[in-house]
Amino acid sequence: MLVPEFVPQIFASWYMPAIYTGFIIAFVGLIGIAVPKRDIHVLILTDIIGLAMLVIVGAVGTDLAEALILPGLVVELAEILAISEILISREMRKKDKIPSLFPTPLTLDMEIMTTAPNFLAIVLIGYGVFLTGFTGGAVAGSGILVYIFSRKVRGLPILIIDGIGAVSGISWCLWIIGFFLFFVTPQFWLLSLFLAACGLLLKVASKMGLIGVLMREEYNKK
Amino acid sequence: MLDLGLWFYSGCFLAILGSLATVWGPNVQDPIVRTFNTEIAAIGVSLIFLTYNHTLALLTFITTSVAVSLILLRAITRLEEMEADV
Repeated sequence: MLVPEFVPQIFASWYMPAIYTGFIIAFVGLIGIAVPKRDIHVLILTDIIGLAMLVIVGAVGTDLAEALILPGLVVELAEILAISEILISREMRKKDKIPSLFPTPLTLDMEIMTTAPNFLAIVLIGYGVFLTGFTGGAVAGSGILVYIFSRKVRGLPILIIDGIGAVSGISWCLWIIGFFLFFVTPQFWLLSLFLAACGLLLKVASKMGLIGVLMREEYNKK
Repeated sequence: MLDLGLWFYSGCFLAILGSLATVWGPNVQDPIVRTFNTEIAAIGVSLIFLTYNHTLALLTFITTSVAVSLILLRAITRLEEMEADV
């Protein structure tokens, strides 16, 4: 087996046990799915298959593994979210019922929700912009979420939701231009790095803001 | 402190044990028990990431595993609320 020299010896010696662990988990999980069960159980077992994928990717043991695990996690999360939504909406359609969004009535009657959100949102967004990149996007997005969930703003017009979507698209363009410049003109690496980082910041922050707006709209419907 | 391999192999063991517990464990006909059993496997995978020094991956994995269990619990409770047979 050809192992690059920058992989530590101990990681290389763990490769086979980790791969076997991944295969055993995947085998057990797939057997569990193959036995006919209720849909919700299949959804839970999908989580186990995702873990097997993560172990097999992580066994590579270099930065490449880390770079591959992050999108894998996001895809797994999105997949489970989508399937659970499909299950719930199918049952709702069958029963002709409209249950509440949250299982228990959510009453957030804390003083901090009315007094602090402006300050908290500004601090979080400012720190997120300072960080840039994926982490900064997550921090800034949680700032937007805090602001939206504290319900200081009400009844956003559809134009703003479309606008957030447009910002998301523009940020993808920034990201792609940054990557393109990286390969075409490597001497401008700092410019392309900042293009990619700011694009990713806008992308993640606007996505989290959009999720917050959609959840708030559904929550206030009742 | 302790040998690094100990953490790695205990991670592998916990991951396999958790997946077995999720599929054939006691009382798994209750979806909530099944969801909590996946957490054992998640702890095992976290230990494996820890020994490989995948710091960012470990932090993101902890966050997403919490989010996944919240999503699953929400789906379970809402389906039970509707008295759906899925």
